[in-house]
This record gives sequence, C-alpha cells and structure tokens, in this order.
Amino acid sequence: MSAVAKTERKAPRLIGIRELVLLAIIIALLSFFIFSGREKTIWAIVFEFSIFAIITLSLNLETGFTGIPQFGRVAAVITGAFAVGALPGRLMAYIIGEPWGAEYANAVFNYRIVPVINELLASNIFYSIGFLLLCLFTAAVFGAAIGWLISRPAIRLKEAYLGISLLAFGDFFMWVGHNWNIMVGGSTPINVPDPFRIFGGDRFMAAVLVLFFIAIVIYIYLERLTKSPFGRNLKMIRDNEVSASAAGLDVVKVRTRSLVIGSAIAAMGGGLYVIYTGSIGAIGFQKLTFTFWPWAYMMLGGIGSNFGVLMGVMLLVILKTMIIVFRYDWFAFMVNVGIDPMWLEFTLMGAVIVLVILFVPHGLVPEKVEPVLPEERVKRVLAKRQLEKTSEPVS
Amino acid sequence: MAPWMASGLIYASGLALTAGSITLLYITTRTFNFAVASMATWGFMLAYTGVSLYGGTPYVYLPLVFIAGSLLGLIAYYGLNRHLLRRNAAEITLMMSTLGYDLILLSIVQMFADYLTLTYKLYPRRVMLSAHDFQLFGERAAAFILPVIAIGLLVALHIFLTKTKFGIAMRATIENPVLAGASGINPDRVYMISWVISGGMSAIGGAAMAMAITGTPVMGMNTIPLMFAGAILGGLHSLYGGILGGFMIGLTEYAGVFYLSREIGPWIQGYRMGIPLILMAATLLLFPRGLAGIPWAKLFGNLFSRKRGDN
Repeated sequence: MSAVAKTERKAPRLIGIRELVLLAIIIALLSFFIFSGREKTIWAIVFEFSIFAIITLSLNLETGFTGIPQFGRVAAVITGAFAVGALPGRLMAYIIGEPWGAEYANAVFNYRIVPVINELLASNIFYSIGFLLLCLFTAAVFGAAIGWLISRPAIRLKEAYLGISLLAFGDFFMWVGHNWNIMVGGSTPINVPDPFRIFGGDRFMAAVLVLFFIAIVIYIYLERLTKSPFGRNLKMIRDNEVSASAAGLDVVKVRTRSLVIGSAIAAMGGGLYVIYTGSIGAIGFQKLTFTFWPWAYMMLGGIGSNFGVLMGVMLLVILKTMIIVFRYDWFAFMVNVGIDPMWLEFTLMGAVIVLVILFVPHGLVPEKVEPVLPEERVKRVLAKRQLEKTSEPVS
Repeated sequence: MAPWMASGLIYASGLALTAGSITLLYITTRTFNFAVASMATWGFMLAYTGVSLYGGTPYVYLPLVFIAGSLLGLIAYYGLNRHLLRRNAAEITLMMSTLGYDLILLSIVQMFADYLTLTYKLYPRRVMLSAHDFQLFGERAAAFILPVIAIGLLVALHIFLTKTKFGIAMRATIENPVLAGASGINPDRVYMISWVISGGMSAIGGAAMAMAITGTPVMGMNTIPLMFAGAILGGLHSLYGGILGGFMIGLTEYAGVFYLSREIGPWIQGYRMGIPLILMAATLLLFPRGLAGIPWAKLFGNLFSRKRGDN
C-alpha cells in the first residue's frame, strides 16, 4: 500500500527542471547560429532533427519500450525509401501515360518523366497533398510488412543473435537496392516526384515545416501509445518476459505488433527523407547513419523516454552541424599537422556514446516511473471497489 | 586449386580470426565487440603502412600488427569495459559501448589515412595489399600462409587454454565466474588477457582479409556483419565453433559466387553478401545455437563418446 501511496504523491510533471535546462541549452546553441549569421543552417538542423526524430522514436518504441535489440533499423528505413522511390512515381507515370515499367528506374527516362509529374503535382494543391499522403501510406505499408517479416525470426532468436542478424540483413537490403536496377535505379540515383514543388521558391522551408509537423504528430502518437494499456504491456514484457506471459500476455503477439508499428514509422522516416532530397540512391542508406546514429541519439536522450529522445536528437544534431560548419575554423591546427578535421563528427558520436554509457547510463531525460492512472482516478477506482465489496456481501 | 579457392581461403582465414576473436571475448566478458571492425581496419592499415614505407612482405609486420591490436584491446578494457563489467551492465549496454569505441577508432583511422596521404603521399583509400605478396607453388603465398597462421593461432590458443595454469583458470572463469573467483582466480586478469588476445587476433584478421579484398578505411565497417555472422554460425559459445564458422562463411561466399555466377549469371556478384547470410539463417533455423549446438556426438555415434564423459 505504501508503494501505491508513494507513486500517487509523485504525480509526473509534464516538464521538469531537467527538461527546461535542456531546452535552454538547445535554444542557446541555436541562437549561436543566428548570431554568427548562419540562419539558413537552422533549417538544415530542423530537417535533420525531424527525420531522425521519427527514426529514433521508432527505434525507441522497439528497443526502449519492448526490449528488442534493433540493430537493423536501417532495413525498415531503406524499405520505406525504396517504396517511396519506386511505387508512387510509377503510379503517376502510369496515370499520365508515360513508361512506368523497368524504364522508370532508368536514369535516361526517369530524368524526363519526373519533371512532367512534378508539373502535374504543382498545378493543384490537392494533387500535392494527395501524393504526399500516398507516399506516406506506401512507406508505412511496406515498412509494416518488413516489420512483420523481421518479427518471425525475432521470436525464435535470443537477444544477441537477433541484434546481429538484424544488422546483417540491414546491410543486405542496401546491397539489393544498389544492384537491383529495375527498382530504384541501382547505382545511379533516380529522381522522386516532389510534392512540395507547388511552393516554388519556398520549397525547402515549406518541406522542412511539413516534416517537423509530421515528426511532432508521430511524437504525440507514440507518447499516447506508450501510455496506453498496450504501452504498459510492452514495458512489462521488456522488464520481465516470464512474469508477463504468466500474467496472461501473448508475448509473441505484442512483440510482433511493436515491431510492425516501429518499422512502419521508421519506413515513413525513410520515405520522407527521400521526398525531401528529391532523389534516391541506395548506397546512401548506410548502417552508420540510419542505425548507429539513431542509437547514439537514443542513448543520449534516455532509453524508454520519448521526450528524452527528442532532446537527444536535437542536441546531437546541433553539435554535429556545429562541427561540420565550423570544423575548418576551430580545428585549423589539425590541418597544420596533416590531419583533415573532416572526421571529427565520428569522434564526437563515438565519444558521446562512450561518455553517456560511462557517466549518465540512463540518458539526459531518464524514463520516469509513472503511476498507471492519475491520482484522482486511482482514488475513484479504489472507492468504487470498496463500494462493491460492501454492497456485495460474501455468501 | 580452383580459381576461387586462393582468394576464398585468404578471406576465410581473415573472417575466421575476427569471428574467433568476437567469440573469445563474448564467452569471457559477455561483450559483443563491435570494435573488431576498426581493430581489423587498424591491422590492415598498419600492415599497409609498414609495407609501403619500409618494404618487405606484409607477413613481416604481423607481429607488430598483433601488438597494436592488443594495445587497442587493452585501452578498450581499462577505459571502458572494466567499469561496465564491475557495474554488471546489460549485454546491450556492453555492445553499445564497444560501438562508441569503434566509431572513435574509425575516425582516428580515417585521420591516419589522411595523414599518410598528406605527409607520405600514400593512398590508403584503395589498397590491394596482395600486390606485395610473393608466389608459392603457382599461387599467391597468402593462400597457404594465412590459413596456417589462423589454424596455428587456434592451436596455440588451444594449448594455452588446456595446458597452462592461467589458461585453465581462464576456462574456469568462462564456465563459472563466481566459483572461479571464490577459488582465488582474479577475473580481472582473465578479462584483460582475453581483450589482449582478441584484439591481436582481430588486427591480424584485418590484415589477412585485406590480402583478398580491397583495403579501405571502412573495410572493417563493411565486413563486420559477416564477422558476426561467422561468430553466430559457430554458436557464440565455443571458440572452435567461432573459427570454424568464420571459415565457412568466407569459403561459402567465394565458392557460392563462383559457381552461381557460372550457373545463373554474373549479376549474382552484386548479391554476394546474401549467400553467407542465407547459410547463417538456415543454420540458425535448424540449430538455434549454431554449429557448436549441433549434436555432433549423436550424429557420429560413439566416435566422440569417450570425450563426452569429460564434460
């Protein structure tokens, strides 16, 4: 009883001191860019933040909440990217009567077809919105399918075996895309129709704002999902599988659902990345960028904490961009001894992972222990139970 | 020798060494060592630097490569792994910590490559280390020397683990760390030695692998899934299984690509990574604990029955 009372008293504040300090740091770092006259960099930061927030949040659902060592995040991201690169454009080409078979992925045809589609999309705002939604839908469907496929061995294999197998298959997916020419052009990147063309000169800003909006929507969705009964099931399985199945949970089913939802979201991230950049080249989807960096973001932010993940992504993206922008000013001394400071971002990422594990193992915003229901509702439920007990005398 | 065999054997011995080093570290410290990727790259890079600055064959530099790999392992142990093991960290945390170390090593190896280019006018971003090899019986010498080195290291390790006092202490720690600690074995030293051996093995493995494939600063990063595949195929619980798994992964890839591209068409070249992965997946589906989990004794009747009594 005392444990219940303790959790009741500690009602979770929406935003604590920790979060405020982090937000202040982020705003300070961002204003540093403004004062040094690089406002445009902020758009790039927000773009990268949105994409990686989506991917890292999905990783957090699978790893942080369900306990699956998802070292193959890149597989779902690639699936979404390939789906968006290959299918909606083909559909548009079919509708307007251009070649849509294997020729579509041929750079010679592709560079001619895609501008035609773009003109059509730019002619009507509803076409653009419809195309964007179609892309998201395609990515999510294919991502969910791949998540289901991954979940089949995921049930048989144990922790480490699973993580490594996922890693290997993520790499294999990239090589398939790189070599299978008729899907997305193989080693020559092809263009993807651009639903943001309608904004003309403001295209990139509009795209970044839309991406940011989608990332926030996904954050709210995941926040609600992980606080729902389903989210509590996930945590229960993560914390103790045996007791979860003893309590009557179908572990396999819950895990499968988590993998399917997570992969669908990650695929949407990959699809949005392709739409924003306007072209797809399979070799760009390396495990370093789309598996290991999301892991670093998640570990910095706090495994199992959605808000923490957002903070982690933002902080690291800003730091990474700072190194990329200023490395030749700040680290000029390295050039003198014959070393290019180009690789410092890898050092940063590695050092962040190591330092976080050694000194803040639970991340910047650790997962909170939360009562299942708000205090008033717990009291109400208890009162109701009491009432039922007294009104129904034991026969 | 069939045409694929020479390269296949060289590549497979590299994979066997790295897979063996992953397995050794896993059975002693529960750590999945991602840093094997960059340790292997460092091994290749040092062999390349030695060969191009001071001449000779790459084999001359293998002892140096081993020592450098051991040093990297020592740094990893004292800087990182030791604290986490004391904290009794989860397997995933141990794995992620080595990933961070790997990224740091990767960036340093890239800087080193730049340094070589700018200072000595060397181009370590596309290296055929086999150009420095010599011919033996009409084949590249590496096809004979490297498998011998891989198997020799395995035999040496076997003797070390079964005949020396420290090796037996090490096996005791692997079997039951608590009991071994209670009987006066210092687990700290066991972990340290296994990091040293495994670091050296992975560095030599990287140098060996670069004799078959193009050496680049991201060579280790690109081949790490296959190294892990070898270790997993071997079952992760037996050192011999790990080395056998590495050999099998490497040889299957080369043999598979050779015969399939003759039968189906050369396009299969692009999917070469899929062949060992299919082998791994099939083995895992049949025997979820890998090669070491196959009931060999049951398969071969009483051939091994005498040995089984020892366990």
